[in-house]
Amino acid sequence: MADDSQRNFRSVYYEKVGFRGVEEKKSLEILLKDDRLDIEKLCTFSQRFPLPSMYRILVWKVLLGIIPPHHESHALVMKYRREQYWDVHHALRVIRFISDSTPQVDVFLRIHQLESGKLPRNVAFPLEPEDEVFLAIAKAMEEMVEDPIECYWLVSCFVNQLNSKHKDSLQQLPKILEQYLNIEDNRLLMHLKACAAMSKLPYDLWFKKCFAGCLPESSLQRVWDKVISGSCKILVFVAVEILLTFKMKIIALNSAEKITQFLENIPQDNTDAIVSKAVDLWRTHCGTPAHSV
Amino acid sequence: MAQQGNVGELLSMLDSPILGVLEDITAAFKDNLICDRGPMLVNNLVDYYLETNSQQALHILSTLQEPHDKHLLDKINDYMGKAATRLPTLSLLGHVIRRQPSWKHKLSQAPLLLSLLKCLKTDTDVVVLTTGVLVLITMLPMIPQSGKQYLHDFFGIFGRLSAWCLQNPGHVAEIYLVHLHASVYSLFHRLYGMYPCNFVSFLRSHYSMKENLETFEEVVKPMMEHVRIHPELVTGSKDHELDPRRWKRLETHDVVIECAKISLDPAEASYEDGYYSVSRKLCTSLKHHQTDPSASSYIGTQSSYGTSTPYSTPRLTLSQMPGQLPQILSPQSTRLSTEPQQVTIWSPSAVCGMTTPPTSPGVVPSESSQSASQPYSKAFGTSAGGKGTPLGTPATSPPPPCTSDDFVHVSLSSAAATPPKKEDKPDSGRPLLYRQQNVINSDKSLDIPSSKSSVTLSDLAEFLGGLSFEDSAEKDREEDAISKEISEITTDAEHMVPRGGFDSPFYRTNESLSGSQKKTHSAASSVQGHSQTSEPLTSLDKPGPEGARETPRQTFTPIDKPCGGPGESPAGNREGTSGEPSILTPSPCKVPAQRRVGFGSGQPPLYEHLFEVALPKTAYLFVGKKTEELLKKAKGTQDEDCMSSTSPVEVLDRLIQQGADAHTKELNKLSLPSKSADWTHFGGSPPSDEIHTLRNQLLLLHNQLLYERFKRQQHALRNRRLLRKVIKATALEEHNAAMKDQLKLQEKEIQALKLSLQKEQARYHQFQEEHDNIVAQLHSQIRQLQHDREEFYNQSQELQTKLEDCRNMIADLRLELKKANNKVCHTELLLSQVSQKLSNSESVQQQMEFLNRQLLVLGEVNELYLEQLQHKHTDTAKEVEMLHAAFRKELEKAKLCVQQQSQRLDASQKRIAELESQLSKKDHLFLEQKKYLEDVKIQARGQLQAVESRYRAQKRITQAFELEILDLFGRLEKSSLLKKLEDDKTEAAEAAEERLDCANEDTAGHSEETMGRNGETKPPSTRGSSSSKGGSSSELSTPEKPQNQRLSSRWETSVLLEPSTTVPLTVGSLPSSKSFLGMKARELFRNKSESQCDEEGLTINRLSDALKTEQCKDPSMESKAPPSPDNLSPKLQESSVGQLHIMDYNETHHDHS
Repeated sequence: MADDSQRNFRSVYYEKVGFRGVEEKKSLEILLKDDRLDIEKLCTFSQRFPLPSMYRILVWKVLLGIIPPHHESHALVMKYRREQYWDVHHALRVIRFISDSTPQVDVFLRIHQLESGKLPRNVAFPLEPEDEVFLAIAKAMEEMVEDPIECYWLVSCFVNQLNSKHKDSLQQLPKILEQYLNIEDNRLLMHLKACAAMSKLPYDLWFKKCFAGCLPESSLQRVWDKVISGSCKILVFVAVEILLTFKMKIIALNSAEKITQFLENIPQDNTDAIVSKAVDLWRTHCGTPAHSV
Repeated sequence: MAQQGNVGELLSMLDSPILGVLEDITAAFKDNLICDRGPMLVNNLVDYYLETNSQQALHILSTLQEPHDKHLLDKINDYMGKAATRLPTLSLLGHVIRRQPSWKHKLSQAPLLLSLLKCLKTDTDVVVLTTGVLVLITMLPMIPQSGKQYLHDFFGIFGRLSAWCLQNPGHVAEIYLVHLHASVYSLFHRLYGMYPCNFVSFLRSHYSMKENLETFEEVVKPMMEHVRIHPELVTGSKDHELDPRRWKRLETHDVVIECAKISLDPAEASYEDGYYSVSRKLCTSLKHHQTDPSASSYIGTQSSYGTSTPYSTPRLTLSQMPGQLPQILSPQSTRLSTEPQQVTIWSPSAVCGMTTPPTSPGVVPSESSQSASQPYSKAFGTSAGGKGTPLGTPATSPPPPCTSDDFVHVSLSSAAATPPKKEDKPDSGRPLLYRQQNVINSDKSLDIPSSKSSVTLSDLAEFLGGLSFEDSAEKDREEDAISKEISEITTDAEHMVPRGGFDSPFYRTNESLSGSQKKTHSAASSVQGHSQTSEPLTSLDKPGPEGARETPRQTFTPIDKPCGGPGESPAGNREGTSGEPSILTPSPCKVPAQRRVGFGSGQPPLYEHLFEVALPKTAYLFVGKKTEELLKKAKGTQDEDCMSSTSPVEVLDRLIQQGADAHTKELNKLSLPSKSADWTHFGGSPPSDEIHTLRNQLLLLHNQLLYERFKRQQHALRNRRLLRKVIKATALEEHNAAMKDQLKLQEKEIQALKLSLQKEQARYHQFQEEHDNIVAQLHSQIRQLQHDREEFYNQSQELQTKLEDCRNMIADLRLELKKANNKVCHTELLLSQVSQKLSNSESVQQQMEFLNRQLLVLGEVNELYLEQLQHKHTDTAKEVEMLHAAFRKELEKAKLCVQQQSQRLDASQKRIAELESQLSKKDHLFLEQKKYLEDVKIQARGQLQAVESRYRAQKRITQAFELEILDLFGRLEKSSLLKKLEDDKTEAAEAAEERLDCANEDTAGHSEETMGRNGETKPPSTRGSSSSKGGSSSELSTPEKPQNQRLSSRWETSVLLEPSTTVPLTVGSLPSSKSFLGMKARELFRNKSESQCDEEGLTINRLSDALKTEQCKDPSMESKAPPSPDNLSPKLQESSVGQLHIMDYNETHHDHS
């Protein structure tokens, strides 16, 4: 009650008038003030509103379970995490998997491999496809997070979440994509089917790498907000919106290879708009998550 | 060159008089021409023709076939270039072209055309020019389309020749000019007919120049009077008339007819569809009229001069009535008995008005001729008649009204006579049309004598109208045919007369006429023409001996009369000649007369007085004026022979006629054997140039004749086509009639069927009525029965209701019965009850009695007790009071006690409440505690998770390390194996035995150490995790150090020694150890994959054991080691450094944490 009274009484009307997210920061702060952070509420918040960038990393860490919901243990847990990172880092250096000159992303990959017990026998071993995914995501994350340790943990946990929590749903996404594309633009779907491009769309890039390397980081963050808060359907809508946005160009292209190539290298200029539209589309199709803030 | 000689022979034989040879030769030539494609034969033939003028050669040349045309044209072109041969060449060309060869279309491309044009432009010989122009005119309709490129050449030629006609630069004889003028006139017609727009524009441009103005006024303008406005001038354009599409549809004769259509000149004109909209019949009548003369004149020209006259005689009648155009029709109408309306329609023409002068008082000589026609016209009694009457009444003194009647009769009879003739043709033409034939036959068999001409005529009109009314041209055609026939008949008649007696028909007719004119009228229509012509002749003959000579001249005049202007003028001319003998010489009538004068004969005036008598005065005056003018002109310019209104053709005709007349007359009169004699007779020697002139004239005439023949052929072609149309139309007519018959039959059938239908309908009605009656009866029966049924039904219902009532009653009664029974039962019950009660009451009474007795007893007892009681009442009061007091005290005590109890209760209740609140507080506290605990648990779990993950990471690290270590071991072993393979085996074995003995001591000590160390070696493996727990490990680390050092040193030694030791091991215990190592490695891998943490410790123990055993062996080997320590050092040192480093790290890490 006390929180409510502190909040701006106009906040109710902002949304009606169309200003979204005016009070979001405040409400997020309120949420974050709770000791024992309510993860459910944070999830809902993250799905409903774009996260303010200053709290994004914190919220992600909490949502990904890198730090526990209790404020007290944050420092301690982070310390553990750091130590663990350095331990592994050191071990890898010892067995000469990494050196000072190794790029940070590779370091992350090796650490991740080691932690998941999948470290190859030799440095020269070729990379697995999942490692490629990891690298792509890590590259994107590296841009967003400054601290390498935090970055590593975010990447690692993000990938783990994708592999564990969303593994089944990720496989369904291409079908869902086709379904929504049929609703949104039947003609485009027909064209894609006619070109036999439906099966050759860059699903790996879109759904396995979660658009890492496809969208610039500023836009990517907003997509990952939703993914981390547990909704991987947003990926479908981003894909649909990309297709709709570049509809004319895609229709102009006739071969599946060209379309795929184009989609793998879409222009980066108005991705923010694409993401905004995708979020709107996602809202209209999947409904607004319950307002439990 | 045998062939050439052969050809020469053939050529010489070509004109052989023997008919058989001629045919053979001709056939041979044709064969040659077919076989030989070279130009030689053709050239020879042309040469031959030009030399000999052979008709046979001409025939062959004019029938040349396709491949030779080029040679022929080339050859002709060659000769055309030479002035000497130009004329015969031109005539040859004319012959060839008039044949209309199949290659005529090539003419336009041939250079010949160019040279012809050039010749026409430059030549100065009139004969050549005239011939050339005629050839050109003949050629034009054949190449209407391709000739257009030379259009301006044509126009130029026209311009030049028309100017020539006027100016006569060559100063040739006027006779030639007449011919030339006629041909130019034809050219004018052709060009105007074919290319009106272009031509008119040419005229406009050419004659707008001042120097040409005179030519226009004198030559071209009169020509223009003979043409109507060409429709193309209105609808077409210059380009349009050159459009190939325009010409594509037209054949040569079509073009010719097209040109003739626009002509007003009867000699040229041809009236076909579309040009006369006023009245068709009128048209036809006119056409008969016009075609007739043309045909006859044609024939006339074709045959000799002598024969021509009789043909033209019919025309004479027309000429006899100058200015009375309605009457012009009369011969025609008599022949065809056309309707009077035509005449009336015709008469109002302005020309007539102009030309018909008021009555002339004395027209005696012409009376006879007019008597034939005037009454006729009068009989029709119209405006024409009005005009005619003044003339006619005085003129026809002998047969005033009766003549007309007679005339009608005549016409009738003549008509009666003619129809068969007319229909003879259709007969032969349409053998299939039996119906028509029938009509005709009936006409022939029955009607001819009796039927009136009107009937036959109407029949004819119907027939004609039905067949070809839509196309007046066809009618025209028929009429044409008729007229031809007539003319043929006349010719026959003429031919019967010997040639010498040329005049005899006239005389004969004259005689007959003088007897009775009516008789002549009653003669056959064909003869009538004669009779009419003869009439004037008689009249003419009477006045002077020259009559015979005069008549022929008049015979050609009729050509004029169809068209008003010309029709008038000749008459006037004639009158002029007659009226003014003095002036006559150059008279309008002109050139012939004048010429004749020029020739040296002074006869002309002889007949002139006839005109005086024959023509009305006003006309005479008018003509006189005209002649004066003309005279002046004639004087001024020699060649002023052409009246502005006379067509050059007429003039030419007249000239010919006159020439013929002169000739025949002279011949008759003088019966001179030769022409030269003739000429001498005329006075003066016959000049050679005159003979030449005459020859040329003859040639020109021949050309003209050929040209006219060509035109006739075109007309014939057209006629044939029109006839086909007629035949078709009649066939359709027949078909229609047949269809109509069928229709009638079918209608009859339909009627019969209708009748039977009516009958059937009546029967049907009867049946229907009967049926209706029966039905009505049955209906009434049904109604009755239904009524009965209803009654019965009502009755039964009544009965049923009764039955129902009865049943109800029965039920009621039963109920009542039941009720009664019930009552009875009830009463019985009551009765029994009452009886019981009765018995009870009886017993009660008995008891009552008993109780009463008891009461009495008790009352007595009571009385007794009362008495006793009254005795004892005083003692009890005190006792009661005492009791009261006691009880009161007891009550107070009890009250006190109660108070105490309630107080205690309150207190305890409060206590309970307190305790309960405390309890709830406690519970709350517990809950909070629980929550907190949960919170802490979660917190701890979170931390624990982190720790666990760290632990896991450490495990992974160790695994990685182990893997690395094992890898290194494997590598070491491999390398050592390779190196020590060649070492002495036996030596090594002995050394091993010795060392084992002495090492036993060490091993005891070592084992303790190693045991101790083993206890510690475990912790280091887990130290990663344990060290993080706290500083407790610091205690451990201190003892570790020396151990580590020791271990490391031992490691070093072992590693250093290993190469040396491996040799004995390989010998003695290597297999086992190797297998053991392999086992370890396998286990490790398995562990790693399964991540079984528990076994980790074990494996490490085992590993340490293994190491221990090795270390046990090491000291024994130490002694042996020295031999080869050097070569190992670099690699081993490196690895040892690594090992050391790991150990160090442990420490550093320790410090970190």
